[in-house]
Amino acid sequence: MTDPIRTVLYGASDKEISFYQSLVEKHGSPLLLFDSSKLKQQYRALQQALPNVDLFYAIKALPQIDALKELDELEAGFDVASSGELDILLSLKVSGRRTIHTHPVKSDKDIRDALRFGSTTFVIDNLDELKKLQPYRGRVGILLRVSFRSENAKVDLSKKFGCTEDEVANIILQAEQLGLHIKGLSFHVGSQCETSDQHVAAIHSCRDMMLELNKKVKAPLSILDIGGGFPADYALESIDILEFCKPIRAALESLPDDWHIYAEPGRYLIAPAVTCVTTIIGKSIRYGMPWYYIDDGVYGSFSGKIFDHAEYPLQVLTEGKTSTSVLAGPTCDSIDIIDEHIELPELNIGDLIIGHQMGAYTAATRTRFNLLKEAKFIVL
Amino acid sequence: MKYFKETLYDAVCQEFRVDKMYFEQKTEHQHLMIFHNAMLGRVMTLDGIVQTTEADEFMYHEMLTHVPILAHGAVKKLLIIGGGDGGILREVLKHESIDVTQVEIDKAVIDMAIEYLPKHSDSAYDNPRANIVIDDGMAFVKNCSEKFDVIIVDGTDPIGPGEVLFTEDFYAQCKNCLNEGGVIVTQNGVPFLQIEEVKNTYQRLNQHYTDATFYTVAVPTYYGGLMTLAWATNNAELRNVSLDTLEQRFKSANLNSRYYNPAIHLAAFALPQYIVNQLD
Ligand SMILES: Cc1ncc(COP(=O)(O)O)c(C=O)c1O
Repeated sequence: MTDPIRTVLYGASDKEISFYQSLVEKHGSPLLLFDSSKLKQQYRALQQALPNVDLFYAIKALPQIDALKELDELEAGFDVASSGELDILLSLKVSGRRTIHTHPVKSDKDIRDALRFGSTTFVIDNLDELKKLQPYRGRVGILLRVSFRSENAKVDLSKKFGCTEDEVANIILQAEQLGLHIKGLSFHVGSQCETSDQHVAAIHSCRDMMLELNKKVKAPLSILDIGGGFPADYALESIDILEFCKPIRAALESLPDDWHIYAEPGRYLIAPAVTCVTTIIGKSIRYGMPWYYIDDGVYGSFSGKIFDHAEYPLQVLTEGKTSTSVLAGPTCDSIDIIDEHIELPELNIGDLIIGHQMGAYTAATRTRFNLLKEAKFIVL
Repeated sequence: MKYFKETLYDAVCQEFRVDKMYFEQKTEHQHLMIFHNAMLGRVMTLDGIVQTTEADEFMYHEMLTHVPILAHGAVKKLLIIGGGDGGILREVLKHESIDVTQVEIDKAVIDMAIEYLPKHSDSAYDNPRANIVIDDGMAFVKNCSEKFDVIIVDGTDPIGPGEVLFTEDFYAQCKNCLNEGGVIVTQNGVPFLQIEEVKNTYQRLNQHYTDATFYTVAVPTYYGGLMTLAWATNNAELRNVSLDTLEQRFKSANLNSRYYNPAIHLAAFALPQYIVNQLD
């Protein structure tokens, strides 16, 4: 894993400047601007890159009602991880049949809430978790999550969840003895993958395991859920998702035609659909460097810097000679620094700083520290 | 075109075309719809599950109502728990000597059914022999000092708001509200797909009643074949009333039924072996 390098854009067209300024005049600052057409574009692009794959948006990335509405209109599926996430779908009247519940650790109440909502697919990764589903065995469909550790993902999600490949056969055969059918395998190779190598390797392993198991089990495994991990374009270098997914498409081609393939994209879909607008509220010179304080920070919309290790591309609206500066957030904690070495032109209080690609794991993980006003969500 | 897909089971689902939406309400906790379907008439669904349709409701309501009443033969007071759509009430009131108390947790369900499913209650809610109480069914039987000859529990799925109506505690409280030789019947799901419900209910009823069993009815829109109706009483004779006696009672009750008759009444207690295997 290489250290993230932040992309900074300098300058903006008059049109862009007046666009941001008029929004701030109207709604105040900070803002999160949601562009549903961008979300639609991402969804269509991923559909094209992964034909015949059912896409379930990972709500955790941004559980925001307008984004969910747009995805509902696109007839997307939804990957839910909690009863709270089900509740917002209920308010949209989304059918439970379009959802999968992917949290590998659940309480009985979580299971009942999901069933009541009509969400019948559950993910497990061990026998204790399997037994929780036994009372509902006629109603549920179960996916077994397998762990594939990933070195090239920013966020390794196979450390906390997933059984090892060695355990798969035993769990599936034990499930059969308990009268529970495991209908397929799932994995999540990690978020923000640089290449699709891990997806491809995991697809191949799962295919081989499923084919082998299908010789032994009474009811065949027929679903493979390839998780998320499709990258956002934090370097603003126009990631070509069609190209990124090409090896995945090739790997999926090698599966039997009658298998169903799911994916749980979060970040790729929502990241570029949200832009953060912040305002410089203070400046100072410390240790010989200019410091700029903006009205949103790592306890707010930039929380992904901490939890998600993301460095969002930033834009200053003016050009000019730059010097190495510090960009800090508004809380009184010293950890609340967005960048300690960022090349910035001289800026003034009131100037705007724009954060791009800020839809995923940003507002979703913010805190209420200092009781600062959270960035207002504006639907464009 | 809109479709309703039932969400009960992962591997299979029935789908109904929505020809006209009459009523849709979603709150934070539930999603209720009443719509028209060309084949089934008005259909009511709750949280993705078919509750009742105009086309086949008579099978369910007649069997849940007339079997205990005619088996008992001298019912004066009857308690309905749930049943907000009014179908059970309509059937009970066909027996002119019976006074009914119906306990429904949510008045809105009754109002909505009167407006959008009028054929179910067929004006039963205007009948002076019907005493409607808006209360939690569990709370009502706990605090009730009255006694009834028959209790009919017309609840929803065991996962959801009607959950408490499937607990052992509830069945025990109901016993305290039954007259000597009274009987309780409850909706108990489709055992081909939910065999656990049979096992659980049987074990729970068995703790409190000397004769617990099930009888069946096949309601087409309750997907999965036979539905079980649970039956519990301390009078084992009740399920062995002779065909002759039932015929007499049936005749004098003048029910005008479409599913129920004495022969099917007796036959309904014959259980397929996969259900019998759960009863021990
Ligand atoms: C189970 C599961 N599915 C899907 C996702 C979404 O991943 P991404 O945003 O990388 O597409 C996550 C992210 O944490 C996850 O844990």
